[in-house]
Amino acid sequence: MEELVGEFWHKLITKRVSTEHSGAKVNLTDLNSQLAPFYRALGGAPGKVIEGASARELKLHRRFLQRVAGTHRRTNIAWQDERSVRLPPMHAIFPDKALNEALYFWLTALAAQLPTIKHWFVDNQHATLDLLKSKPGLASSYYALVDAILPLRPDLDKLEGSKLIREQAIQQALKVPGSVANLPKASGDPDPIFLWLYPEPIHGVSIDADDELDDSDVENQEEQAEQLKGERKEAKRTNDSKETDGLLVFMLESLGTWTEQIELDRPQEEDVDVNAAAAAEDLDIITLSRQRRAQSAKIKFDMDLPAPQNDDLAVGEGHRLPEWDYKRSSMLQDFCLIQPMLADDALPAPVPDRLKMVANQLRNRFSALNFQTNWLRRQTQGTELDLDSCIEKISDPNDQLEKQNFYKARSRNQRDLSCLLLADLSMSTDSALNAHQKVIDVIRDSILLFAEALSGAGDPFAIYGFSSIRNKQVRFNLLKNFSEPYSDAARGRILAVKPGFYTRMGAGIRQSTEVLQTQSTHKRLMLILSDGKPNDIDHYEGRYGVEDTRKAIMEAKRKGIQPFCITIDEGGNEYLPYLFGDNGYAVVSDMTRLPTLLPKLYLNLTGQS
Amino acid sequence: MKNPMNYLAQNNEVEIFQHAAENHLPVLIKGPTGCGKTRFVEHMAKKLERPIFTVACHDDLTATDLVGRHLMNKDGTYWQDGPLTRAVREGGICYLDEVVEARKDTTVVLHPLSDHRRVLPIERTGEEIIAHPDFMLVISYNPGYQNVMKGLKPSTRQRFVSMSFDYPSPEREVVIICQESNVDKDTAQKLVTLGGDLRRLKDHDLEESASTRILIYTAMMIKSGLDPKEACSACLAQTLTDESETIAAIERLIQIYF
Repeated sequence: MEELVGEFWHKLITKRVSTEHSGAKVNLTDLNSQLAPFYRALGGAPGKVIEGASARELKLHRRFLQRVAGTHRRTNIAWQDERSVRLPPMHAIFPDKALNEALYFWLTALAAQLPTIKHWFVDNQHATLDLLKSKPGLASSYYALVDAILPLRPDLDKLEGSKLIREQAIQQALKVPGSVANLPKASGDPDPIFLWLYPEPIHGVSIDADDELDDSDVENQEEQAEQLKGERKEAKRTNDSKETDGLLVFMLESLGTWTEQIELDRPQEEDVDVNAAAAAEDLDIITLSRQRRAQSAKIKFDMDLPAPQNDDLAVGEGHRLPEWDYKRSSMLQDFCLIQPMLADDALPAPVPDRLKMVANQLRNRFSALNFQTNWLRRQTQGTELDLDSCIEKISDPNDQLEKQNFYKARSRNQRDLSCLLLADLSMSTDSALNAHQKVIDVIRDSILLFAEALSGAGDPFAIYGFSSIRNKQVRFNLLKNFSEPYSDAARGRILAVKPGFYTRMGAGIRQSTEVLQTQSTHKRLMLILSDGKPNDIDHYEGRYGVEDTRKAIMEAKRKGIQPFCITIDEGGNEYLPYLFGDNGYAVVSDMTRLPTLLPKLYLNLTGQS
Repeated sequence: MKNPMNYLAQNNEVEIFQHAAENHLPVLIKGPTGCGKTRFVEHMAKKLERPIFTVACHDDLTATDLVGRHLMNKDGTYWQDGPLTRAVREGGICYLDEVVEARKDTTVVLHPLSDHRRVLPIERTGEEIIAHPDFMLVISYNPGYQNVMKGLKPSTRQRFVSMSFDYPSPEREVVIICQESNVDKDTAQKLVTLGGDLRRLKDHDLEESASTRILIYTAMMIKSGLDPKEACSACLAQTLTDESETIAAIERLIQIYF
C-alpha cells in the first residue's frame, strides 16, 4: 500500500512540475542519421559521432515544487569533446515539434562551427554570429528558436540584484549575439541555455600523466582513454597508487623476495551489481582508477586455444608461409604456420528470416549481371546478319570464299572474374557496436549477404576468415571455397563464425593469394574486410605489421591479383593509402550500413567490363 | 564553336597543354566528373585553332568505331574514316573522353600513334597513315571510380603527358558559375559554399561529390525563375543520392542557405 501511494505521489508531483511537452518530443535516435551527414557537411570532423549526452548537474535555482518532486536537479545540455558531439537524447522543450527538431539541427551546426570552447559565454555568441552570417537560412530558424525560448527563461520581473543583471545579459546575448562581452557574476549557475554548447565537464578524463612512472607511454594512454568507448558519464580519475591492492608477481621458490610489484586494479566481480547500469545512471561522476594503465597494458595475456573438441576441425597439418621483416629487409622463410580450419560442427542453415528479404533482392539484382548479353560478331551461325562482315567480304577481293562468318549471335556475358573475400575475425570484432549488436554480428550479416549477391551474379567466389596467435598458428577459416556450390552448408558455416584471436594480416593475404592463383579467370579480386591495423601478440604490430602486410599486397599485385580493402576503422585513412594505394580501399563509417554497402561496393568495383 | 568558349584556368594547365602540343605529345587528363576536363580541351582546341574530334567512349566502343569501316552505297562499298582517322589525316585534336570505358582493343590502336612513330595503321585497307603535324591525341578518365575491371595499363599511361584536374577553388568557382548561368554573385556564392559542404560528404555519405557542372545547372534553374530551394533539391539532393536519409540531410543543408 505504501508503495502504491508513493508511486502515485511520485507520478503526480513529477507531472505537476514537468516542464516538458511530451507530445512534441523529438528523439535523437530518430534524427541521428540526418544529423551526422549534416554535421560532416558543415565541416565537423568526419570521425566524430553524435550521441546522447547524459544529464549534467547544474547549480540551479529550483522552484519549491520541483525540489519537492526531486526533479530538475540535472539538465540535458549539449557539449562535445574530441570523440563525439553529445546532444540531449530527446528534446521536448517546445510545444512545437518542428522547433524541437530545429533545435537539434541548430546545435549540430553550432558544434561544427565551434569545435572547442575557450570562453563559454563569448565563444557561443561568436559562433552563433558567424553561423547567422554565413548561413542565412539558419538565421530564421535561430530567431524562431530564440523567440520560443525567451518566455521559458526566468521572468525578469521576478529576479533581482545580480541575478537580474546576469539574466538580462544572457537574454540580450541570445537576441543579439555578439553584443555582450562579459557574463555578470551571480550565485549559482544560470538557467541552462539550450541553444548553446557547453564545455566538456570539468572533471573530464584528463590525459596528463598523473603518475610519474608511465610518462614514457603517453601515446599508449591516449589510446586507452580513447578506448573507453560508450562511456557517456563524466569520469573522474582518482589516484590510488597507494599499495593497497597491488599484485605481487613472484616465483614460488623465492617466496619472500618479491621481484616486481605491478599495481593492477583488479575488478571485484562478486561486487558487480546486477543493476549496474541503473546505478550508473544515478551517479553523476563515475570514478575510474587510472594508475599504471600503460604498464598493465604491457602485460599481454595470451588467449588460450580452445580445447580441440570445442574447436573447429583443423584441415591437414597446415603449411608454412614467409614473412617480411622490414628491419632486416629480408623474408623470413617458412615463418608462419597457416592452419586451414573448417567448422565441421556447423549445421547447414538457411538465410535467417530477418535477412531473407534483402538477400532475395540482392540475388535478383545481381542475377541481372549474369544475363547481360552482348553481340558476338563474325559468327558462322546467328540470329542476325553482321553487316560489317558482309561488307568486308564484298570489299576485299582477296578474301577466301570458305569463310562464311556473316552472322552475329547473342551470348551471355562472360565476366571472367573471380573474387575471394577475406574477413578479419580477430577478437577486436567481439566488441559491442550498439545495444543490440556486436561488430562480429554485422560482419557475419555482411558476409552472408555478400555471398547471396555473388551467388546471384554467378561469378566464382570464395570466402575465408582469418585470425592468428603469433606465427605458430594463423587460422584460416574456410567458409566457402571456390569449387563448392553455395548452399546451406556454407551458409551454416558463415552463420557460425566466431571472433578469434589476432590479426596477422600478411599471412592471411599470402594464403589468399595462393588460393586465388588456382583460379584461371582473367581478373582476380581479393576483398579484405578489416576492422583495424594488422597486429598480433608478438612483435607483429605497428610498423612491422604494416610493412609485412604491404609486402604481401605487393606480391599479390605482382601475381595479377587485385586487392581491395574495406575497413570499418575510422582511422583507416592514415595507413590504408600506404598499404592499398589511394583508390584501393574504402572506409565505411557507419558500420550498420556495411551489409548493404558491401554488395554495392562489389558492383561498383567490378561493373561491367 | 558557336558561342565563345569561356575557360578560367585553375593552374598552369594551359601552358602545359601548349608545350605538349608544340612537341607533338599526347596528353592524359584525369579528374572527377564535371570539373571541366572536356571544357578545357575544347578551349585549348580553339586557342590552338585546331579542329576537335570528341569521342565519348562507352563499353561497346571498338577500334573499328575509332578507325573507320567500310560502308555500302549503290555503287558498292566504300571506306569511311572514323573520328580518329580523320583527326590523323586532317590534323586536329582527337579527344577520347572516359577512355577506360572503351574496349581493350582500342588502346592497341592508340599505341603507335602515341609514341615517336605517330602513325596509324589501318588493317582493313592496308594503309598506314602518318599523322598530320597538327594531330594531337588527348584522353581523359576519372580515377575516382574504384573499378578493378577498368583502368589504364601502365604501358599505355607511360605514353602520355599527364595532368590532374580537380574542382576549382571557391573564388574561381563563383566566377565560373556567374559566367555560365548569369546568376547574381550572392546566389553563386551560396551555391559554391553549399557545394563545398556537399563535397565533404564524399566517401562518407555520397558516392560522388557535387560537380561544378551540377552547380551550374542549379544556378541556371534558379536564374530562370525556379525557387532556389526546389532547384537545389532537384539538381543536388536528388541527383547525388538515392538514400532517403541522406536526401533529408541535404535538404536541411539547402534550407540553411536559401
